[in-house]
Amino acid sequence: MRVGLEILKLARSNGARTIFVVGTGRNAGKTTALRAIYNAAWNEGMRVALASIGRDGEAMVPIEAPSKPRLWLQPQTVFTTARALLPRSPAAELLKLSSLQSPAGEVLYARAVIGGFYELAGPPTASGVREVVDELLARSEIAIVDGAVDRVAAVSGSDGAIVVAVGAGGTSSLQEAVAEIRALVTRLRVAEVDPGVSAVHVDGALTADAAAALIARGETRQIVVRDPTQIALSGRAASEAFARLNVRCRRPLRVVAATVASIGPERNFEPAQFANAVAAATCLPTFDVYRSTKAA
Amino acid sequence: MRARPLLDDATADVLGFDWLAHAVAPVSPPGERAFSELHPFAVGEETSAQLRAERIGEVAARLDPARIEAIRAALLELPDAASAIARASLGDVLADPAFLELRRFCATIERIDALLADVPVLAQLSNAAVGSVRDMLAQGQTNHDHFYLADGFDVELAMARAHLAKVQAELNALRGRESERVARELGREALGGDEFIVMRAELRGAMPPDVRVLREAATYFLCTLEYGEATLAALERRDTAAEAVADAEERVRAKLSSTVRDNAAGLNAAALAVGQLDVTIAAARFAQRYRCVPAELSQQPVLAFEQARFPPLETELVAAGRAFMPLDLELDDAAVLTGPNMGGKSVALLTCGFLALCVAFGLPVPAARARVGLFTQIAWLGLGREGHVGGLLSSFAREVLALKEILSREAPRLLILVDEFARTTTPHEGKALLVALLARLRERRACGLLATHLEGVASAAGVRHFAVRGLRGIPAPPATDDIRAALAALGASMDYRIAEVSGDDVSRADAIALTSLLGIDQQFVDAAYRALVQ
Repeated sequence: MRVGLEILKLARSNGARTIFVVGTGRNAGKTTALRAIYNAAWNEGMRVALASIGRDGEAMVPIEAPSKPRLWLQPQTVFTTARALLPRSPAAELLKLSSLQSPAGEVLYARAVIGGFYELAGPPTASGVREVVDELLARSEIAIVDGAVDRVAAVSGSDGAIVVAVGAGGTSSLQEAVAEIRALVTRLRVAEVDPGVSAVHVDGALTADAAAALIARGETRQIVVRDPTQIALSGRAASEAFARLNVRCRRPLRVVAATVASIGPERNFEPAQFANAVAAATCLPTFDVYRSTKAA
Repeated sequence: MRARPLLDDATADVLGFDWLAHAVAPVSPPGERAFSELHPFAVGEETSAQLRAERIGEVAARLDPARIEAIRAALLELPDAASAIARASLGDVLADPAFLELRRFCATIERIDALLADVPVLAQLSNAAVGSVRDMLAQGQTNHDHFYLADGFDVELAMARAHLAKVQAELNALRGRESERVARELGREALGGDEFIVMRAELRGAMPPDVRVLREAATYFLCTLEYGEATLAALERRDTAAEAVADAEERVRAKLSSTVRDNAAGLNAAALAVGQLDVTIAAARFAQRYRCVPAELSQQPVLAFEQARFPPLETELVAAGRAFMPLDLELDDAAVLTGPNMGGKSVALLTCGFLALCVAFGLPVPAARARVGLFTQIAWLGLGREGHVGGLLSSFAREVLALKEILSREAPRLLILVDEFARTTTPHEGKALLVALLARLRERRACGLLATHLEGVASAAGVRHFAVRGLRGIPAPPATDDIRAALAALGASMDYRIAEVSGDDVSRADAIALTSLLGIDQQFVDAAYRALVQ
């Protein structure tokens, strides 16, 4: 199975021109998933653009932080990187210098002319991401973004697709990894507000304190946030809130698939068991990017 | 644009220095550099200040607002090429983003020149260096907004790239064939990425010989493809070709950087000129927006104007649907200004200060006509200044300390604007203090305007007395307790103009009528009127 192509088809089935690949944490296999989708799009003859949001969305990068893996970009691929990260060779066609800042410096737009290794970079802010996506879409048929969960608001309310990656790295057990992706997907798939039903609109983020207050007063109306990234809940608070409140959003997101990376630096999970558990927990088409399979 | 030494921080705040600096701010990096160097003209530089203001006025008159905005839009897109020019001058080999900056710099300079083609008052910005660098960087480019180290720059670069493309294609073909063969042997459609998993249960027979196992687990192998000798040889040829391309690219960059270095003086001159143009255009835009004219610069400490306005307040009033009543005044010494509450005494002082500030920076002034001298310092004393002095002091003590500090300055030509100094002490002593202050200002040959409610100050000090004309009639309080309506009624009844009066004239304060207009109950107001006549 060509996993990248399958995910691309799922994303494109509703006309998505932007695909955000987000992960539950580090070593979730985001870059591997992105590479698979990118290669599929390029092999399909599409004009592809790539971007990355900072390093996991951090505005500042600690010096000891591991660098992003470089990607082999095929000719004609449009991409964003930081001025300081642009390699001297092979030379790329520079399309635009931007005033946006990435953790590694000023962002620029370029097009690979000769295939080569490049490091992607992009701005850490939601408005910056929106600007980058618009610029890339003006120059390509599809933009694939190595994203951060809290910046996917850039595609909220649009037909942009989200792919969620989870890996064995950074978790202590398969159960914990599955619980993490279940919580993330539940949050990202919060349904659109029903305009015919009474609602309480939350100004800003729905925090654990705000959710507790709403539960305590027995709120039964729809609890409406701008988009799912405004739900600042995790763990038990998130489970309780979703079980006892009718949380909705004005600008929903479209999560189309999950990917699993069953191998991690510290531990491995049994690949088929992991993929099947994720598929069952998220009800999403789930792909193993290392095994090139889809979960049953 | 630097306020000091003309203004202290408190005076700058009160007179709206930041507002003015924002209103005349340029938009390009070279403009910002030129703007940061702007300082007030010193006494003795009247001709230079006059020439600057006249030049700005001429630009404002010759360019319509649409053209000014078009030039600003171009300036906004002007990249900062200073760093690239400086590094090339030092012998650095520039990186490609620097060439894009230089390309866009040259293109924007020429775009601005096109917008200025029929404006003789503004010189063209481009020069031979800009043209040389523009032509050099245009070689082989297919898009005027982009930059690529194109094959057209160098024959050897083109050849190296052609060779790289050939060996890369050979490598891709070999790798593709190997990958497809191994995938077939493993019974799958594709291998996936560089690392892939093979499940033990799915393995039919032995692992293909080209597959290297990186990690073994109970149910699977983590593998990678180990390329054969032919592919590895192709990989080596590709790497060698890529190195040759990198060398050729670097040689081209060195050649281009050397041309930039040779033209650095001309490029810097163009950057300097465009920075100055940006500052001039921003000032002309200010002059158009606020209907400013160049003042006549006087060698004397004088402040004379007709139909003058204080734009920060005028802007607020216009937004609220009201109009600013322009002011006339002729001041060449220390004088007294009286008038009713809310009659615009403070605004008259602010207008004086703002006009003097504009003139000091060689800017046209918001007035129909003006004759103004340069001052070594402009100082504000009174309401609005207290926060800047002392902590545990009474308001009177703070005022006195502020006055002491102002009078202690080395300011051979001082403009001082005093807003109700000594208002918090007894009228008798307050008047005495003002008379003493006026005497001191006359000794120093300072120009000043002292606003006060105290009677008889001008005649006691022997100075000119100006007064706000005041209420034409007492407006009726609005039916509802609406402060906006009350202010509108007051604005309609108040004549804010200033006129010189004879020394003994007593200004009406109309304070009791104003308390009624502002909503104090009638019983209170009647009691005040009764007390007034007792």
